[in-house]
Amino acid sequence: MKRVILAAAAFALGAAAFAQAPTAPAAAPPGPPPMPPYMLRAKAPEGDRLQAGRDGQAVFEAQCGYCHLVGGMGTNLLTKQQMMAGNPPQQGLLTNRRDLTADYVKTVVRLGKGAMPQQTKVDITDAELDAVSKYLGKAG
Amino acid sequence: MKLHLPPRVSPKQFQSAMTAFAGVVGKPWVMDTDADRDAYADTYAPGSTEEWPASAAVAPASVDEVRAIVRLANEHKVPLWPVARGKNLGYGTAAPRMEGTVVMDLGRMNKVLELDHKLAYCVVEPGVGFFDLYDQIQREKAPLWLSVPGNAWGSVLGNALEHGIGYTSYGLHARNLCGVEAVLPDGDLLRTGMGAMNNNPAFHLFPMSYGPTWDLAFSQSNLGIVTKAGVWLQPAPETSLEIIWDIPNAEDIGWVIDTITPLKISGLIDQNVFIPSWLGKMVLKGQRHDFWDKPSAIPEWRVEELLKQYKLGYWQVALRLYGEEPVVKARAEVVKAAMKRNLAAAPQEIWWRQGDPIGQYEVTMGVPSAVPLQMSDWVGGRGAHMGFSPVVPATGTHVLDQMRRSRKIIADFDVDFYASFTIGGRFANNVNMLMYDRDNAAEVAKMRKLFDALIVETAKAGYAEYRTHLGWMDPVMETFDFNNHALRRFDEKVKSALDPNGVIAPGKQGVWPANYANMRGSAYKGGQ
Repeated sequence: MKRVILAAAAFALGAAAFAQAPTAPAAAPPGPPPMPPYMLRAKAPEGDRLQAGRDGQAVFEAQCGYCHLVGGMGTNLLTKQQMMAGNPPQQGLLTNRRDLTADYVKTVVRLGKGAMPQQTKVDITDAELDAVSKYLGKAG
Repeated sequence: MKLHLPPRVSPKQFQSAMTAFAGVVGKPWVMDTDADRDAYADTYAPGSTEEWPASAAVAPASVDEVRAIVRLANEHKVPLWPVARGKNLGYGTAAPRMEGTVVMDLGRMNKVLELDHKLAYCVVEPGVGFFDLYDQIQREKAPLWLSVPGNAWGSVLGNALEHGIGYTSYGLHARNLCGVEAVLPDGDLLRTGMGAMNNNPAFHLFPMSYGPTWDLAFSQSNLGIVTKAGVWLQPAPETSLEIIWDIPNAEDIGWVIDTITPLKISGLIDQNVFIPSWLGKMVLKGQRHDFWDKPSAIPEWRVEELLKQYKLGYWQVALRLYGEEPVVKARAEVVKAAMKRNLAAAPQEIWWRQGDPIGQYEVTMGVPSAVPLQMSDWVGGRGAHMGFSPVVPATGTHVLDQMRRSRKIIADFDVDFYASFTIGGRFANNVNMLMYDRDNAAEVAKMRKLFDALIVETAKAGYAEYRTHLGWMDPVMETFDFNNHALRRFDEKVKSALDPNGVIAPGKQGVWPANYANMRGSAYKGGQ
């Protein structure tokens, strides 16, 4: 157990480093390195939240990102669970999962699971959830 | 969840109210299926969610829509339970006190209307979460810090209105509210303070009205629906110093309080000082069964082993000072000298200066976090928690008295003791966190009996709670017994006068309008 916790912590650190690395321009302005992605989500996409064809990735990052981007609480808990199941820590990040189906994503979002509370249609509309479940549901 | 109608409302009457609401907000924003009712149920319900069932939810997008819904609620005699984002975890989530009440979810009203860099305040709608406001501040590079509660997933206004507390100099969140706009029970619209004058630029700056001041009358209240408010923010300091002491023994909390309180009252410390017991650190290290694999409470000897193994004190004081470096240094010397009188070990000191990175878990620097959700993982299963939260005078005598009592009661119920004290000034908020698996019926029943015992015994000793779960709103209100419950009699006189149809949050905090007076205590099963 202890080994798993340490490894999960190491992953979180690695993830934070990854978060800080990529897009910094050569002549970056002085200042602190940015927060991990879950702390700095983009604004929710504009437009009618009830219309089909929402941008699944953008909705996921804005509405689910507090917990499920790199460094978020959901990612931390899932990383631990995945490692205890013998899977690589990267599986804690929902966007890395290949085994999620769209229906499964919808069920967990609406009913909640473990530490995750259920989400209302104000949190995420059916049209938004359709888009997110397609984005995450790589197993169909 | 099946449909529970509000009292004395027929299915036909209810349906016509839903149709009328849909005429205002559009059909998709009236949510009245079984699945919708589940979505608005109490995530951490201690027992069946059907004890506090919503009949539906309605989600307006503007003040005008809120006003229209309130007028229709009066016409159709259908009560509303306004929630900001509905994330009041541990206190009922979005669920209503009275069965069949329609949740009014204000989550779509989520604009940051103003963010004033110079005068350090913002004006927000109820749907703005701490993460949202934090992101907006970063995007604008505003030199401002938030004060965040333990779980920052919820609403800035909702938390302040529920008397939430944070861990910075701005930690008494209700005190940061300044200038409120509220829809009244008859659909009228009120602005408090200087906002009572059209276009007054001091709306969110001067904290009183001309005449009686009503801002906080809308907190923990059913007198109106807050549709926007000003919130004062902390200017980002030049530097900050965190000083951390591990406090070895449970009984040490007495001298710790007596050391810190005078410095807090004098203003030398301006932070709300949060002092959690050891279990607050352990929940982040794994699950309960990793450390104690029996359902019984973790025994004293095992606690001592764990403290030694993980190098933890029984309590931890992680105090933070803010300001210009020479000022912070001078203050730190005073605080350290005061603590040294009882604790020889040197504290850990961590400086932060403008330009340094801020850690993602720094709630004392106003960084929002959802870490406490991890507490649910501690017990496993569908983990949940409730907080028993009395307020006591911030002296060692009172705090020790409170700690010994609740620790003994909790031990008698064979439950783990996880307490914190937050020194907010002349008082301390004591939160006793009770964690349970929602699917373990015996454990839930035990927690409810324990909660009853804590309320009764604590009231006998003369202390009261500052906030509570739906299921105990009536019993806690009952403990405020001066002059035959004069406070409740006054609250209810005002409530019934302003809201004769009882359309806004009947039963909130144990305040019932005359037309639903017979519902008092009806969801309370006395620990059954």
